[in-house]
Amino acid sequence: MVLDNLGSSLRGTMDKLRGKSRLDEDDVQEIVKEIQRSLLQADVEVDLVMDLSSNIEERALNEEPPGGTSARDHILKIVYEEMVEVVGDSTEIPLEPQTIMLAGLQGSGKTTTAAKIAWWFAKKGLRPAVIQTDTFRPGSYQQAKQMAENAEVQFYGDPDAEDPVKIARDGLEATEDADVRIVDTAGRHALETELIDEIEEIERTVDPDRNLLVLDAAIGQGAKEQAREFDDAIGIDGVTITKLDGTAKGGGALTAVNETDSSIAFLGTGETVQDIERFEPDGFISRLLGMGDLKQLSERVERAMQETGDEEDDWEPEDMLEGNFTLKDMQRQMDAMNKMGPLDQVMDMIPGMGGGMMDQLPDDAMDVTQDRMRNFEVIMDSMTDEELENPRSIGAQQVRRIARGSGTDEETVQELLQQHKMMDQTLNQFQGMGDGDMQRMMKKMQGGDGGGGMGGMGPFG
Amino acid sequence: MFDGLKDKLGSFREDVEEEVEEKEAEAAAEAEAAADDEDESSTPAAAPDRKPSEETDDDGGPGRLRQAAALATGRVIIEEEDLEEPLWSLEMALLESDVEMSVAEEILDSVRERLIGESRKQVDTTAELVEDALHDALVDVISVGQFDFERRIAEADKPVTIVFTGVNGVGKTTSIAKMSEWLGERGYSSVLANGDTYRAGASEQISEHAENVGRKVIAHEQGGDPAAVIYDGVEYAEANDVDVVLGDTAGRLHTSNDLMTQLEKIHRVVDPEMTLFVDEAVAGQDAVERAKEFDDAAEIDGAILTKADADSSGGAAISIAHVTGRPVLFLGTGQGYEDLQEFDPEALVAELLADEE
Repeated sequence: MVLDNLGSSLRGTMDKLRGKSRLDEDDVQEIVKEIQRSLLQADVEVDLVMDLSSNIEERALNEEPPGGTSARDHILKIVYEEMVEVVGDSTEIPLEPQTIMLAGLQGSGKTTTAAKIAWWFAKKGLRPAVIQTDTFRPGSYQQAKQMAENAEVQFYGDPDAEDPVKIARDGLEATEDADVRIVDTAGRHALETELIDEIEEIERTVDPDRNLLVLDAAIGQGAKEQAREFDDAIGIDGVTITKLDGTAKGGGALTAVNETDSSIAFLGTGETVQDIERFEPDGFISRLLGMGDLKQLSERVERAMQETGDEEDDWEPEDMLEGNFTLKDMQRQMDAMNKMGPLDQVMDMIPGMGGGMMDQLPDDAMDVTQDRMRNFEVIMDSMTDEELENPRSIGAQQVRRIARGSGTDEETVQELLQQHKMMDQTLNQFQGMGDGDMQRMMKKMQGGDGGGGMGGMGPFG
Repeated sequence: MFDGLKDKLGSFREDVEEEVEEKEAEAAAEAEAAADDEDESSTPAAAPDRKPSEETDDDGGPGRLRQAAALATGRVIIEEEDLEEPLWSLEMALLESDVEMSVAEEILDSVRERLIGESRKQVDTTAELVEDALHDALVDVISVGQFDFERRIAEADKPVTIVFTGVNGVGKTTSIAKMSEWLGERGYSSVLANGDTYRAGASEQISEHAENVGRKVIAHEQGGDPAAVIYDGVEYAEANDVDVVLGDTAGRLHTSNDLMTQLEKIHRVVDPEMTLFVDEAVAGQDAVERAKEFDDAAEIDGAILTKADADSSGGAAISIAHVTGRPVLFLGTGQGYEDLQEFDPEALVAELLADEE
């Protein structure tokens, strides 16, 4: 996912600093070089990279690490803070009646995004409508109409009209009783002056509350110029990054946000209308530093649980963050995970599993993992309630019984128990974690590193 | 396209020139000093033997002595340290132009290798040396397996099937319409086959394009089998004596295994004469990654870069060709059907290195 390379390469460099309490200039320079490479590989714009890295370098050399903090933690903190500085907060999207206009290059995914955003508002209880004003690209009307149908939201468009400004005006009238109106526009690039004039005119007619720039995650250094021109023309209030389910790192979004002095609003992560996430800076940064995205994860867990519906409802996902992690939780978690979607997407959000970890896994690891999960399910079905609640009480004899009962072998049962223990320990580390504890956590995560640690993380590894 | 890079290549040339001039001045001064030294020390008989070895020790290299010698014969030797700064700027310039990092590094290595130790006769200018090195390094990277597309169409058994692949939204369908025009101008008839049975509005899009350029479209229902559609396209072409079948496919991210498998199936069923990978010129570092993945799923013969008019950097063109070992064949340069240009790497490099003035 976004920028996870930075996470892994940074961790690599950081490892070399373990145990040092002071950094000399060479150390800092090496780290800064590494940061630069990672950011550039993630398509962050060159000038922005240089600014960021020189800030980090200066602070790393001049600021005294607070007492008791290792040099490594100190650098991590600086990197974190500088990144937060650029990324900023998520674009504010109030849940109230409003008009949103989308703009962007051809093929960046505006029409799909329009339907996704509409779906998102509909889930929040508002009544959205999509207005399609692209009269240029063949088939855009049909595409938008169908996407709106998929999202089950109101749609306005006119396949026979030729003037996008008129469609926009008529569309606003036709969708007057909708709460949120999303105006999709034809793709254009910053150098097409006529088309830029056109979007300015649509903007004047629509008078939107916010303009969102839709950017393909794969966009390169050109993001800067495109963002600037669109900003000059209509003013950009937020950026939506699409196609994040590919391998592109999405650094262009950072550039665009920096250039337009705006923020990131939404992330597009797939082809169906549900594949949209609200941008969360904390999650973004921690994912970026390879720390997983706890918040997204628990949100997904909750959503999956809700969809599971009326299954036993005495289970609180929060419990497992509070240290009462039993095999039953693990069973439910695995169950919920099956409902959460592709394992690798979820994996990315698990602390310590994103970024570097994922890189080390062989390509087919996910398939093997799915098999293992099925095995574990069968094993757990052969356990008593008592055993599920208190996995530590399971003795050798019980292991034999369970293995026989589930048609597996003792080794696999042991693996499951080992797995549970690992997860329990990991989760324990997150208890009461505040902002300042980030470094401590990073340290712990890395302490358990090296082949055995994470590799042994069972169904997930 | 490539405006930024062009400027930067020019400044790389100037940077190296400056470094070398500086060095030349230094060397001249030192040579004078050395000459003075030698004058003084030439009287005692024992001294001359010792002197040179001391000097080489000081510099720890072929350094001063060889340089002094070189200067005497009107040469200056380019050393690693002279290039450090200019090369760093060059690397940044390449990255700023979206050249993929590993490819940029390769270009640098190649330039470095060609320049270091190179001695410049006073008759050449440093600028010429640098230009040659850049030229060779760039041509090496960009020009891979270039072939004559038109001749290949002319010589292949008819109907020729060409399948277009790529991620979502890069402009495959538009490129197909343009290609159909391009072929028409050269006297080849073509039929379009809509293998994008997935995306909403895809069928309408290609039909409308076909109508605009006056071509027949073969299409099935949404959700149908793309391989079957293209296969029908081939049958239609055989029955109606059409020269070329242009097969569209649904845009897919290379991370979607199912869709990539579908692509392999199309390849098996239709066995196209050529598979063209379409990507956009605005793509950044990831362009290389996806080109590789697509090449793995259904081997590509060449690439088309779209939206070349939107962007002045265009490094993707350099990287994709190099990493896949397949040439960039065409550039999409606008929204009109005639906006498809053949890509010529030699001309591009010449243009990149052309003098501004």
